[in-house]
Amino acid sequence: MPIRRAVIALTCAVTAALSAILASQPAPLPEVLVSRQLMEAQHLQVGDTLRLSSAASGVDPHVYRIVGEYEPTPDPMRLGAARLEVRMHLPDLLAVEANPQNPLDGETVDAINVSVTNEGAGSDVARRVSGAIPGTAAQRTSDDQRRAAPFVVLERFHLAIAIVTVLASSVFLLALMLMLVDERRATVGVLRLIGFRRGRILQHVLAEGVVIAITGAVFGILLSIGMEGGINRFFQWRYDTALVFVRITPSVALRSIAIAVPLGVASIFASSWSLLRAEVFALTRR
Amino acid sequence: MTPLIEARTLGKVFPMGGGPVHALRDISLQMCAGEYLTIRGPSGCGKSTLLHILGCVDTPTSGSLLFDSRDVGSLADAERSEIRLRSIGFVFQRFFLLPMLTAAENVDVPQAEAGVPKADRRRRTMELLEYVGLAHRADHRPSQLSGGEAQRVAIARALANRPRLLLADEPTGELDRANGEHIAELLDRVQSDGTAVVVVTHDGALAERAPRRLLMRDGRIEQEEFRR
Repeated sequence: MPIRRAVIALTCAVTAALSAILASQPAPLPEVLVSRQLMEAQHLQVGDTLRLSSAASGVDPHVYRIVGEYEPTPDPMRLGAARLEVRMHLPDLLAVEANPQNPLDGETVDAINVSVTNEGAGSDVARRVSGAIPGTAAQRTSDDQRRAAPFVVLERFHLAIAIVTVLASSVFLLALMLMLVDERRATVGVLRLIGFRRGRILQHVLAEGVVIAITGAVFGILLSIGMEGGINRFFQWRYDTALVFVRITPSVALRSIAIAVPLGVASIFASSWSLLRAEVFALTRR
Repeated sequence: MTPLIEARTLGKVFPMGGGPVHALRDISLQMCAGEYLTIRGPSGCGKSTLLHILGCVDTPTSGSLLFDSRDVGSLADAERSEIRLRSIGFVFQRFFLLPMLTAAENVDVPQAEAGVPKADRRRRTMELLEYVGLAHRADHRPSQLSGGEAQRVAIARALANRPRLLLADEPTGELDRANGEHIAELLDRVQSDGTAVVVVTHDGALAERAPRRLLMRDGRIEQEEFRR
């Protein structure tokens, strides 16, 4: 029994000593992640401490320890803005923003993001939360119209540019084909004199048109793929962002071919038709 | 003997801004296989228009043309093309060789279109180039040939599918005297080998070589001469 008492006394003494030692140690600093841009701008390194204040004057700062660097999610709406940002845990953020005069301030948030394990259940969760907590608006982030709006505008803008480009290219192609076909006026005349039928010449012309159109489309796609990296690198350097400006996907390539080939063939067909309708002797006369 | 060509009261009117132009008026003509005919006349008298109609290139606005007993006016464009391909050869003042092809390839083109097998085409092409004395120039392009040589290649091309009728529009018009004489001799040979030949020319000496000569004026045949 005396031994047991001695052990208990020793344990209590050690525990008390450890508590005293720990109490004398400073509390660990809250951890933050710092954006690459801010790290570069302020020459920061992982392990450095950071003093942040919600006041512009920097009064009453909070101190954090940098535990990592991150690349901010690219946002076309903030293109050109310096992404000097910090990511921190919600309680730390509340502590920075909290008004010491208002004890409830540290308990209030306007919005939070919740990650669900099953992505497909997002809408269902949002609907249930909205129904269960009156006055709360819950929605999937991908359904946020304010976030989607810039992309919708951008897509429409791209579509408009694409339509204008395709139309202008078609007119240019048609003019080019008209000149090309006119240069072959005598050749077509000679072939007709020899006895080539209109349909036969048209077959040749269309086959040539298909080859030219496919070659042109493939060349355009290869050129785009070749330039894709350069364009992205230039604008990513220019705006200091990870945003991808050009992306040539198989779908984009296929759509280009699907538009270019019929347009090319139609252009060469339209330009050849007037020539093939002309009288044979008129073709060899200048 | 059934005539190869029978033109019955052919007329051709071109609607022009200043009023219709009568290029041919009431032309009647028969021509048998192997015959040699030259047509002379002043510019604008309708010689070339007549040649185009005889060659199934153009159609008359009145009258009719029978080619080998077939009414050309009733034929579709494709059928007239077929006649030109297989039965008629053309030679023009400006040669009209395809510039991107060699002499041999120019002679090969009509045969290929007519569906002649490749080996036969190659043999026929060399035979024709030897016929016109240009076998050694087979691989030359038109730009590498003299005017006389280019015209000889054009004649070889015109004969490629063994036509029954050879039509020549001013074949010596762009040639010097020696080359013109060479072409005239070649046309004589073509005719003596059994092909009917019609030559439109301003060259009196060339016209005199034919046993049958037409003189045209104002769209009409003014005079027809035969030499025995």
